[in-house]
Amino acid sequence: MLEKWQQRRAAVAASGAVVLIAALAGLGPGASVASSHREAPLIASDPAADNTDLYAFVSPDRPGYVTMIANWIPFEEPDGGPNFYPFATDAAYRINVDSDGDAKPDAVFRWTFKNVDKRGNSTFLYNNGPVTSLDDKNLLFKQTYTLESSFNGEPFKTRIENAPVAPSRIGAASMPDYQKLRDQATIQLQGGWKLFAGQADDPFFLDLRVFDLLYGGDLSETGRDTLAGYNVNSIAIQVPFKDVALNGDAGRNPVVGIWSTTERSRSRVSDGPSKGDRVQVSRLGNPLVNEVVVPAGLKDAFNSLSPDKDAGIPAVVKRVTDPELPRLIEQIYGVKAPATPRNDLVEIFLTGITTKANGPIKADLNSQLNNADVDPNRFRPSEMLRLNLSVPVADQPERLGVLAGDLQGFPNGRRLTDDAVDIAVQAVEGAAQTGKLVDALAAGDKVDSNDNAFGTTFPYVALPNQGAVNAGRDTGAVAAPKSTGPADSGAVDSGAGGSEAAPDLDPASNSSMLTNGSAVIFAVGGVGALLVMLTAWWLMKRRRRAAPPYGNDPTIRF
Amino acid sequence: MKRAVTIVVAALALSAIGALFGLREQPGSGSGSAVAAPPARPDRLTQTITRAQERLRALPGDHRTWAALGLAYVEQARVSGDPSRYPLAETALHRSLKVRADDNSDAFTGLGALANARHDFAQARTFAQRALRANPFDAYAYGVLADAETQLGNAPAATAAIQHMLDLRPGLAAYARGSYDLEQRGRLTEASDMMRQALAAAVDPADIAFCRNQLGDLAWFRGDLGAAAAEYSAGLTAVPSYSPLLHGRARVAAATGDIAQALADTAAVAARTPTPETLMSYAGMLRLAGRDADADRQLDLAEAAHRIFLANGGRDDLTGAQLALTRGDPATAVTAAQNEWRRRPFAEVADVLSQSLHAAGRDDEALAYARKAFDLNPRNAAYAYHLAQAQLALGDRVAARTSLTHVRALNPHFSPVDGPIAARALTDLEAQP
Repeated sequence: MLEKWQQRRAAVAASGAVVLIAALAGLGPGASVASSHREAPLIASDPAADNTDLYAFVSPDRPGYVTMIANWIPFEEPDGGPNFYPFATDAAYRINVDSDGDAKPDAVFRWTFKNVDKRGNSTFLYNNGPVTSLDDKNLLFKQTYTLESSFNGEPFKTRIENAPVAPSRIGAASMPDYQKLRDQATIQLQGGWKLFAGQADDPFFLDLRVFDLLYGGDLSETGRDTLAGYNVNSIAIQVPFKDVALNGDAGRNPVVGIWSTTERSRSRVSDGPSKGDRVQVSRLGNPLVNEVVVPAGLKDAFNSLSPDKDAGIPAVVKRVTDPELPRLIEQIYGVKAPATPRNDLVEIFLTGITTKANGPIKADLNSQLNNADVDPNRFRPSEMLRLNLSVPVADQPERLGVLAGDLQGFPNGRRLTDDAVDIAVQAVEGAAQTGKLVDALAAGDKVDSNDNAFGTTFPYVALPNQGAVNAGRDTGAVAAPKSTGPADSGAVDSGAGGSEAAPDLDPASNSSMLTNGSAVIFAVGGVGALLVMLTAWWLMKRRRRAAPPYGNDPTIRF
Repeated sequence: MKRAVTIVVAALALSAIGALFGLREQPGSGSGSAVAAPPARPDRLTQTITRAQERLRALPGDHRTWAALGLAYVEQARVSGDPSRYPLAETALHRSLKVRADDNSDAFTGLGALANARHDFAQARTFAQRALRANPFDAYAYGVLADAETQLGNAPAATAAIQHMLDLRPGLAAYARGSYDLEQRGRLTEASDMMRQALAAAVDPADIAFCRNQLGDLAWFRGDLGAAAAEYSAGLTAVPSYSPLLHGRARVAAATGDIAQALADTAAVAARTPTPETLMSYAGMLRLAGRDADADRQLDLAEAAHRIFLANGGRDDLTGAQLALTRGDPATAVTAAQNEWRRRPFAEVADVLSQSLHAAGRDDEALAYARKAFDLNPRNAAYAYHLAQAQLALGDRVAARTSLTHVRALNPHFSPVDGPIAARALTDLEAQP
């Protein structure tokens, strides 16, 4: 053996090297693999932690209740048995509400999910025949969730366990009546909370290519809803104002700030001190913050920071006060970028629109500083979606929200129909400050509404799409018909049962209402409202003078 | 001359086939499985690459997508074993840096991952550090840094980097590295637990296959052949062609006497990715089956593949040492292993160096390196066996007995050739106290 090898080696060494090297030229550099060491995946996909959008609005069909909808897992392809999109079972999904303006959550709703997997080792299919109800034995894989809530920093309390998740819609043959599954997964708890978790049509409509501006693209190739046909996983909750408002009093304290987060448990390999037992892996408040405001290099930081840290990170603040997008637009369209620092954007993204922080927008709309019981000394600018609960529901919502004089829309909270991209693009161009919409960008991304109509009752989002995204599909995602209504008794009865699962919601926050109602009334309730109206009127006037590209309805509705 | 040319041509053909078709080849899993394979999801990396290419045709100024494309190529090379992705990755990553030279952690992270893949660990560390200067919250950069530090033998630095990664972005990539780190320190139970976490977070079939393979290896290292076989099998259900799983299954098959399966699996791997390592592995199985002539042919090819790698500017003295050992050239093996050890003081390198020194009759030195390897990874039965070899050669029967007892406790099946030898040696030692 040894000899054989030596002979062979000599032959190779004597004559092989030249041939080898000559012959190898064609393979190019690095055309061979080193013996492997341990190579672990680096960019593993983690869609279940990917927080895509957040909506918050006063429920149009249920006065006194606020609806919050948060979405995860973007770009879910409809149909197709293997394309089942579960929530992560090793993550916690949260919706956080700050009512006192200190950028820390005062109300937290926390969802955790479990798999119910009856497939065993015999099949990979998610169903074994048509699924006609969530309890159908043909549904081999499903999920349930636990909802816990915590108010004012108190320990989490379980609100419901084993609540049903609407499954991924895997085709008309497998799920002939999906609406029924949706209804069964829409539940109401004792005390009035409504809940939904499961797949839905992605309600966001936009042409993502509008942000190609950042990379040298132009706006000529827009007009296609990038998200049309795709589904997401939605978590929706509807609670009474008193459960999120400061001191349970939405009359005195109508403004809340909302953001969603995904958390995972913290794992340890080193022996140093631990920084808590949970890690925030993604965060979302205002739409498009990662596109419009936070640049690539800050996205990771932003996702891991809690809002109370925002103001302490100069890079984040600088990106708000000196954003990149308007400068690019100036280069391409000659639309002069507004002067910096952009304190109007600070108002929109970091403080809420208020006259109490010396910002340039002369209106009081949606800053916690306008809550009567807020201590202004503890207020901390932070990125969150701020909503004034006292703004009445608009009869005919304007897609451009506040910029079109419809104060119930984004950036005052966010409704499903608000055209976040066009609003955000106009806002970074200073429209909120100048009242002048930018003509060159008037069409925005040219996508003005969602591909599927929204429902009129909770959870409002449209049913999941069916059919391949890029084929001539039958969306099958008509609006959730109204009035099928939540299965009122279902969850509580079929859930954990007993009094622990049936929450005491009177009020949920355990916080007593303040009795001294003598404070000055700020915000939309009084002088503030007048200011807002005047500003909005002025905005509208300026806008029309600047050749209004939007809508034909000249009515200003207040 | 003619013989040498034949080897070269054969090796080239093997490489080219591997490079061109490695991605598309989807051979069946071989062993019958009761479970029907799931309908395939579109391959994520291929999708990512296609979309990035489309986008970059329209938007060549998008540095982030250039970087993402480069990183996806590196990942594709890892999954498929296809080295033709590396130059593509390099081009894309440099393009990203050309568009945006600073504040571009994505590109530096990608270049670091590429350097790791090419075994240039020092450079990988430098790139990771540059990425982290641009973006201290870049979890991927910590992953690159961890991989580099691990291979460079800086265990505490690797652990710290992995902890940063876990603190920034707990998920499959961080769990997988955490598991490996724990495994390196002999904490196998925790390592398994964390790899289970990784598996729970895995979405793509390739990632599922990776986690199953690691779980299989962990079971193998504790001598649990049944559990190992179950993990490999589950992984092959996700990706029937994943080479490490086939390699693992072959190892279990050889240990349980199923040489036919072992041959089939190692042959499949060697045909798809003809690296020195896979060819040597196939040769080992052929030798076990008594087919010495065929084994020699594969070793010829392994030798040629190694030369190709060197001719392309690669550096891998560990493989050089292993090849030299296989052909009975301990002097060359020692030199090569020492070179590798200077660059990369890693357990596996210490082990090969100790074997080389043992083969060269330098058992005093062999003992020191065998001890190092075993101390670095006290759960590896093969390292314990090599330690025992050196101890026996030096006449230290008491120590050898201890080491061989470790072998038996850890994994008596660690090698179809050496396992029985180790068992006999221990029996002998126990018979004559």
